[in-house]
Order: sequence, then C-alpha cells, then structure tokens
Amino acid sequence: MRPDTGSSLMFAAYAVGAAAPIAAGWSTGVTRLLGHLGLLTGAVMGVWVAVLSLTQPDAPVVASGPALFPFAALSVSLDGLGAYFLLVISLVAVAAALFGPAYLRAHPTRSAAVEVAGINVFVASMALVVFAHDALTFLLAWEGMTLASYALVVAEGGEGNARAGLVYIAMAHAGTALLMGVFLLLVGRAESFDFYLIRQTAATLSDGERTLLFFLVLGGLAAKAGVVPLHVWLPLAHPAAPSHVSALMSGVMLKVAIYGVLRFGFDLLAPREGPLPPSWGWTVLILGATSSVLGVLYALQQHDLKRLLAFHSVENVGIILMGAGIALLLCRRGGACEVVAAVGLAAALLHTLNHAAFKGLLFLCAGSIQVATHLLNLEDLGGLGRRMPWTAWLFLLGAVAISALPPLNGFVSEWMTFQALVLGGAALKGAEGLAAIIAASALALTGGLAAACFVKAFGVTFLGRPRSSHAAEAVEVPLSMRAGMLLLAAVCVAVGVLPGPVLSLVDAPVRCLIGGPGLGALVTVRGPLVLSALGTDGGVTAVSTTAAAALFGALAVGVLAFVAWPRAAGRRLAPTWTCGMAPDSRFDYSATAFAKPLRFIFAALYQPKRTVERDTGVNPYVVRRLRWEGDVVDIAETQLYRRLLDGVMHVASAVRRRSTGSIHGYIGYVIGTLLLTLLAFGRA
Amino acid sequence: MPETTPWALALGQMALLVALGPLVTGLIQKLKARLQCRSGAGLLQPYSDLAKLFRKGSVRADTATSLFGAVPVLVLAATLSAAALVPVVYVAPQGSDGAVVPLGDAILLLGWLALGRFLTAAGALDAGGAFGGMGASREMTVATLVEPVLIVVAFSVAVAAGTTDLAGIVAHHTQGRHIFGAPDLLALFAMLVLLLAETGRIPVDNPDTHLELTMLHEGMLLEHSGPGLGCLVLAHHTKQIVVIALVQALFLPPMASSLSPRALAVAFLGFAGLTVVLALFLALIEASYAKLRFFRLPQFLGIGFVSAFLAAALRLL
Repeated sequence: MRPDTGSSLMFAAYAVGAAAPIAAGWSTGVTRLLGHLGLLTGAVMGVWVAVLSLTQPDAPVVASGPALFPFAALSVSLDGLGAYFLLVISLVAVAAALFGPAYLRAHPTRSAAVEVAGINVFVASMALVVFAHDALTFLLAWEGMTLASYALVVAEGGEGNARAGLVYIAMAHAGTALLMGVFLLLVGRAESFDFYLIRQTAATLSDGERTLLFFLVLGGLAAKAGVVPLHVWLPLAHPAAPSHVSALMSGVMLKVAIYGVLRFGFDLLAPREGPLPPSWGWTVLILGATSSVLGVLYALQQHDLKRLLAFHSVENVGIILMGAGIALLLCRRGGACEVVAAVGLAAALLHTLNHAAFKGLLFLCAGSIQVATHLLNLEDLGGLGRRMPWTAWLFLLGAVAISALPPLNGFVSEWMTFQALVLGGAALKGAEGLAAIIAASALALTGGLAAACFVKAFGVTFLGRPRSSHAAEAVEVPLSMRAGMLLLAAVCVAVGVLPGPVLSLVDAPVRCLIGGPGLGALVTVRGPLVLSALGTDGGVTAVSTTAAAALFGALAVGVLAFVAWPRAAGRRLAPTWTCGMAPDSRFDYSATAFAKPLRFIFAALYQPKRTVERDTGVNPYVVRRLRWEGDVVDIAETQLYRRLLDGVMHVASAVRRRSTGSIHGYIGYVIGTLLLTLLAFGRA
Repeated sequence: MPETTPWALALGQMALLVALGPLVTGLIQKLKARLQCRSGAGLLQPYSDLAKLFRKGSVRADTATSLFGAVPVLVLAATLSAAALVPVVYVAPQGSDGAVVPLGDAILLLGWLALGRFLTAAGALDAGGAFGGMGASREMTVATLVEPVLIVVAFSVAVAAGTTDLAGIVAHHTQGRHIFGAPDLLALFAMLVLLLAETGRIPVDNPDTHLELTMLHEGMLLEHSGPGLGCLVLAHHTKQIVVIALVQALFLPPMASSLSPRALAVAFLGFAGLTVVLALFLALIEASYAKLRFFRLPQFLGIGFVSAFLAAALRLL
C-alpha cells in the first residue's frame, strides 16, 4: 500500500468514526465503541503512513482536493516535517483511542455523540493541518481543530467548563485572526493560495516586511502553543476536557502550533539564501526560556493534578522553542553553526515527540485517578499506590521522564538541547554566547523545578495514607485503559534507551527544513548505541544512553540480589514513627506544605496571598481551631490581563458616558467620523 | 582499542570509588573530631557501620507501597552508574576518528545523581510521616537551586574544551592546551560552594544531627532500616566521593598518561592527595561554622551562581 492510499484510508477512518453517532445513535456504548474504533484505525494508519514517508522520503504524498471556490482548490502534501508531526499526532491518538471508551463509561460527558464526533474531527483536523499545502486548507483545518476541541472542552457541562471554553475560544480566535491576516497579505501578493507560490513570493519580500510577518505569525501560533504570556487559557481548558482529550490537547495540539513555527520560520517566510534575521531566533529563544521557567514555577503551586500537568505543558513548549530558537539563530551561518543548528532542531523535534509521549501518559494516569476516585485535588488523594499499582508505577515512569532524568526519553532531548545551547554559545562567543549559556542555566533550573514538582505530584497522590474515603476505596482501572498508558510508557522507555533509531526518523524533517546533508552526516549514530554530536573544532560530545541504561539495569539487578538475599534477621511491618502518637493521614506531608519552601523563595514572583483565622479562646498559646487559606495568582493574569481588562472597561465607561441615547447625537458622531475619514483617506 | 577496554576502565574506576567512598567519610569525621579536640571514631568506622546494616533485618512502615523496597536499590544503582562516568586516574585517549568512550558525559553524570535524589525524595514520602516529607521537600528545594549552578560551572569549563564529555575535558587539561586562569578560579570557587551542598554538609545540611527538624538528607532516610538503609548510606558515601572526583576532573585532573603501573600509581597518589585536601576543606568548614537557616541558603548558593556566571562570562567575552 502506498502512503497516499494510506492517508486516504486514514481520513476515511476518522470520517467513519465521526459518523458513528448516526449509525449507532440508539446505544451510547456502541456509539463510543464504534467512534473509538474509527479513531484507532485512523491513528494506526497515520503512524504507518508517517513512518513510511519518513523512511522512504522519495515517495511523497501529493493530492489536490475539490475546488471549494473558483479561486482556490484544496490541496494536500506530506513532506518530512509534516510526516514527523503526523507520527506524533497519530501515536498519542492510538493511546487515546485505547483509553477512551472505558474512561468515558466511568466518567461520561453530556453526550456520547459529541464525544466521538468531536475527538475524530479533532484528530483529523490536526492531521490535515500538517498535510495542508495551501493557505485555505491550513486555515480550515486550523479552525476545525479549534472548534472540535472547544466542543470537547465544554462537553462535560457546568459553569467552570463554560468559562474555560470561552477563554479558550477567544484566545484561539485571536491567534487565528493573526494567521489569517498574514495569509491574506501573502496570498494577495502571490495571487494564489498555494504554498509553493507563497514561498516564491515571500522570497522577494524585504527584510523588514519579512520580520513583521514572522512576528505576526509567531503571535498567532504562540497563542495556540500556550507560550507565556498567552498561556492563560491552557490551565483552564486542558483540565476541563475529558482526560484522553486533555492528553491530545496537551501532548499534540500544542505541537501543531510548533509545526507552524517551524513551517513559517524555516520554510514559508525564509529568504531564498543567507541567514535568517537574528531577531527571529532570539525572540523564539527568549520566549522559550521564559515559558519554561514560569510554566514550571506555576505548576509547582497547583494542587489540581490536571492543572499542574497543563502548566507543565507551558514549560515543555518552552523547552521545544529553546531548541528551535537556537536552530533559527544558527542555521545557514556555515561551519560549526550549521552543525549546532541541526542538533538544536533535532532536539526540538525529539522533545516534541517525547513530550507527547510522557505528557500523554501522565494525563491518562490522571484520567485513571479520576475514574478510580472522581477526584483530582492532590490534597484529597494519597495512598493510591497500594490500591492502583499499575497506575502508580506508570505515573512514576512519566514523572521521571518529564523531569529529564536518565535513562528515559526526556533526558535525551534535553541533553541535546543543552548541547545545542552550550556549543552554540561557544560558536557565537561574546554577549550572544553568554545569552545562550543563560538560556542553558534556565533549562537546568527548569529541570530541577520539574523534578521537585513531580516528587510532590507523585508522592502526595500515590504514597502515604489516603486522605479521603474516595481515595481509600479506589480500585485499579480496566485493562483497556492500562493498554493506552502502557503504549506511551513503552515509547518513553524506547526513546530513552535506544535514541539512535528514533533519531533516524528526525533526519527527514531536519533535512527538509535546513537542507544540506541533514542530521545523518552530523550526528554519528553508531548502531543503536552511541548518540554523538560533533561540536566545535572537531570536538566530540557523545553519550550512550543505551550503555548507561544497560549498566544501570545490571547494577540494579545486582544490588537487588544482594539486598533480597535471605538473612537470619527477618523483615517485619510496623507503623510509621510519629513521635509516639497514633499515625493517621494528617501526619502526611501535603502538596501545599511540600511546595512551601519554593513558594517562600520565589515569593517576589508568586506574590502569595494567605489568610489565617485563629480561634484561641482564653489562653493565646492554645489554638482551638485554625483556618488557613492561601492562593497563588498567575502574574500574567494580574499584571497583563487584569490591566488590559481594566483599560477596556475604562474606555467602555467613557464611551457610555457619551452615549446620550439621543438620535441626533449619534447622527452627529456618524457625520463626524465620515468627515474625518474623508479628510484622512479621500485625497487620491 | 578493543571495545571492552572502556567498559573495564569505567567499571574499574567505579569499583575504586565505591571502595574508597566510606573511607573519605571516615576521614572527614576523624579530621573534624581532631579539630574539635576529640579523638573520634576510627577511620574505618563507616565500613563497620555498613557491615552492621547489611547484616540486620528490616522494619517497613505498614502503609508503604512496593516502591519503598525498590528505592534503596534504584538509588544505589543510579549513584553507582554516576560513579562509572567520572574519570579518576586514567582516561582512554581519543581515537583518530573522534570516537570516545561512550560513558563519561558530565550532564549524564549530573542526571544520574538527580535520579538518585528524585527517588530518595519520593521514597521519603512513602512511609507517610511528616519528617520524611519535610526532608524531601527541603532536599528538592536545595536541589533546584544547586542544579543550575552546577550546570553553569560544567558549561564554563565545557565551553573552553568544546565538549561536555569529562574524558574530553580531562584530555583538554592534560594535553597542556588549557591554562589555569581567572575563569577556572571563579568556577572552582563556585564548585567548592556546591561541594558543601552536594555532599550534604554544614552550612547546608548537618550530617550529624539527630534533631528531626534540622535534617535534610537524614530526614529522608528516617524510615529505612537494615540493608535498605545500608544501600542508601553507601549511595551517600559514593555520591560524596563522586562529587569530589568531579571537582578534580573539571579543574585539576591528576591523570595517568598510560596504563603502566608506575603512571597509575602516581596518578592515584595525586587523586588521593587532592581528595585529602578537599576532605580537609569540608572538615574545616564543618568544624568552624554553624548550619545556616534554611531560607538563608538561596543567598549562600547565590554566591556560587554569581561566581559560576562570571566564570562563564570571562570565558566567552
């Protein structure tokens, strides 16, 4: 089967899945099953098409669709970059399709029809974005993606979800408006919607116009990717959707925006030759560093598991943008810079896949917890590890991966990002080089904070004693849900332990974006073993995560054998030491307490609010009752959006004061405006 | 060079570090005792303690999960993996095709140490007492402040050597292409500040404390016992000597130029001498200062960050 047949079958399967409610409207269960079956088939086809296109780049998929309008036909094509993102999308969609039916049975939304139609349209639109070969298809698919995910965000109903949906759709459409504006400017010049002609036209733009267009596009895409300060919708919308949809939104939808950044930056808006304007790379790098540090700092103070994970998506998008930024900065500069640019781009692409895998896994684990306890507040959970061992171990695996610790996948891509930043810093020298080193230390800070955050999230959720009756009565989730989680966990382990074969998949998009020999010539992949990047002056940096993981495994088995060796003195169980009191769940460290030192250290940023009410009675030293309330507010919300809102309200009230309600007054305003407009623009 | 040699080298140096780790702890305790006009326990006391722990039975909290038993094993394995990465007395020369020993990257080394810390902290929450949680929370807080500084120190050296591979950095030093200058001095100063934090010593942590509220690392180990505790204690000894060896590898590597016994012996003496000097430094600080208040630590580690940052700036500007 050829890739283009496969792609057609993929979209057909999604269409069948989306139409399931029509065929099986009589039964909620059958609708869900059929819808997710369509999703599963389509996603498996997607993985297959993507891998085929990546390994055999000489068989590109090109097709033109029906002409919606006389001036624009819909057309699709799949190059290396598109195929790689198709792989990411489809991989998480497979896991979501496996996880979905059982999750929705236990945790249903208002309508099964919306669930299955929404998720199929959502995934198909994302796939269509990376397939798009003209502006119209791109925008239509982009809009489909937004609307379908909106429907899923508000599917569960309720005040909070409606508000989340409103913020989400407003931000998404502001972004789309920017994209549309840029496309209209380009299409007007090219007199065609086709990407090929747009690219040709963009090559003739002046540097100023090019940079302006790039920043407009970046603004539009950043709103979708959740880059600080345009991230405020993300921690609202992602937790509101059903968990497997959250996995898709967080793991994949943000990546579609990253696809846009790469597509526009390296391809559509790039000059024909010569380096890209340095302001692009620096902007992306600085946005990335800011997002990663602020994202993880706010994640630390969240107590809702899905909200915490959503903030981590802000962080990881930042890490991806750091790799992309250094690549934008250094590509086409010749010599060592080219090599470092390739490493940076490969790091960004690999982290895209990695984040999709571990964030998908963690959101699915959060879904399992929701099914088992109907709770997401960390403070009410606890002790789940003994009742749900599968979910606990898989969550731990995801936590280690997202904290960028060896031997899992997060480490590999962060290691590559570190290499790109350090070797890039060495190649750039001077103040620019120092800026790259600062970005590297921001990345290190991010890694440390992420580790702290996930010790908290894992420990408070799964360890200790249950802090509510729901948590005490949790049971492990069914096999089909575990299968979805296991699939993503397997990806995390495989990319971590055998990065070589996966990097060969990254080769095609790198070659497609920065040309030249691609990554294959620059990164030595000695079998599955060694991943090494040539640095400056022939210096070599190599790390073999395979060898390291093998060593770790062997050592762990050895130590285990030694520890588990039978001894004369046996083992016994005893209650935890709590200074002589009877231990109960109130002795456990809570999430708020765990994050307290960091809240204190970064107080200037968090500006935490707290109210303490103390009821002491006669003796001031004996407290009878204590009520504590604390909150950390997002600095973007208070400093930016609140002020923006205040400004808008201020202007609105000024306008209202001048709205007299008299028709004569309004006619006066209209005539005045007309006169001014004529004076300003009517000369020619 | 046959493929087995790098493995043999890495495992041999790892075994050396693991064997000497408790001795360094014993040495520091002894030096500290002498500085405080006590006679102190023998140099070999940590070995006896370990032997005792490994013989004993264990008590487990009745609320703990299966993770609790796995934590000591995984932490020790991660720390040993880190020990295999740091060059002690010899590094294989770089081949003509640029092929190097695949083990030996500085970031990977820090990654293994971070994994050990992550798992120790997670295990501390398992028993469900307030002390473990407090220790874990504080340890992870200190770690988030230490890690960026460590990375900047490593990078300030890596920028000069063009690689983050420790073998490459050592080769850069020993081949005389590197002159010890102001950036190295600043980075070394930063590294000495971090050494105190990474080895869990005064003024960051107090290894001798038995007052629960003042301990960081010990607090996390409170619920472990018997062989499990033995693993964690051994991991801590090993981590201490790994960080000491890392300081040497980054700044003053006493490496043998060949595998001849004479050269190796000289290099080992150099390593031992520098280790004693660093142990004396740790003991001196520990005997003459008090533990800092926890929320003063950011300022203390900030000194390290500033000097590491200046080192990187001097190197690049």
